[in-house]
Amino acid sequence: MIRTVFGLVLVLVLALLLVLAVPDVQPREELEGVGLESAARGYADTGSANLVTGVIVAYRGLDTLGEVVVLFCASTAVVLILTLFPLSRRPSRPSTIVSQTSGVLPAPIILFAVYFIAHSHLSPGGGFPGGTVIASAFLLVMLGSSGVPNSLGRLPAVESLAGLTFGLLGFWGVMTAGQFLNNGFLGTGTPGTIISAGIIPLISLAIGAKVASEFSGVFAAFRNTGGTE
Amino acid sequence: MNNVFYWSIASVALGLVLIGLWGVLTRRNILRIALAFTLADTGVNLLLVWSGFLPGRTTPIIDGSVPAARVGDMVVDPVPQALVLTSIVIGVAVAALFVVVGVLASRRTGSADIRRMRELRW
Repeated sequence: MIRTVFGLVLVLVLALLLVLAVPDVQPREELEGVGLESAARGYADTGSANLVTGVIVAYRGLDTLGEVVVLFCASTAVVLILTLFPLSRRPSRPSTIVSQTSGVLPAPIILFAVYFIAHSHLSPGGGFPGGTVIASAFLLVMLGSSGVPNSLGRLPAVESLAGLTFGLLGFWGVMTAGQFLNNGFLGTGTPGTIISAGIIPLISLAIGAKVASEFSGVFAAFRNTGGTE
Repeated sequence: MNNVFYWSIASVALGLVLIGLWGVLTRRNILRIALAFTLADTGVNLLLVWSGFLPGRTTPIIDGSVPAARVGDMVVDPVPQALVLTSIVIGVAVAALFVVVGVLASRRTGSADIRRMRELRW
């Protein structure tokens, strides 16, 4: 009771402070600074029709590499903890609906995700969301069977290869253009076509493969309730 | 009347943050606390995207309806949308660790109730 009242008071005070701040907030009318530069020059600089992807992969490629490292650390920690302290409970049997759909749906889901990743420089999409969609297909497969498929043991290899690809693409830029993760050394092609925008599509594929394998590994660790050994 | 949309997005975002905060403060099941935490996280992400929103403008993707020459006048700010990716990824990482530690703690005490997790009290 006291906890509810205390929480409610705190939340209401915070809401009041936010409402008091409303008159000071006005919608922006014009782009300025970094936003304007990224929007106005992004297309010519990176060749990416999707300006957001241009910012993520080309202008802030090093930061994206850092994000991949963060995700890698988190998934490693989760898998490590669940391997050291396995949840010793038998997984429940899947219902008929789940086990039937898990045989049909994963293929179209993965097809959609591959489209999503491969067109990240042309339409909304990218390696992180696409990889998550692929992992959701694998999660459906795992939920539809009563354990974890053995072929998921190859996930670490996919993950390492994808991370290596990201790093090597960066160093390729050092060798040819003298800049880590340089986007222009392959040429930016005809913007708006699938083969364009320098190394952005390649990095998106690498990120997609890495995120998909990491999340699948995390799901498998949660699903593999008897421990791996 | 684009400002209705502008303010409704802000309200939804701040509402999610407040609901999440309320949940973290008042719930006792550790998995519900994790859920409330991700709600607040989603609200913050929505607020970040909202900060780059300009009323009456469109998505920062160049195609037939957004010519490259006029892009500076037609699209919203692409930078917050790119920055929010970092926030989302970190949020997922924190949530995953939260859930794992919560599951382990609830297994150790035999209950997901945080009142029974006394090992971290002083």
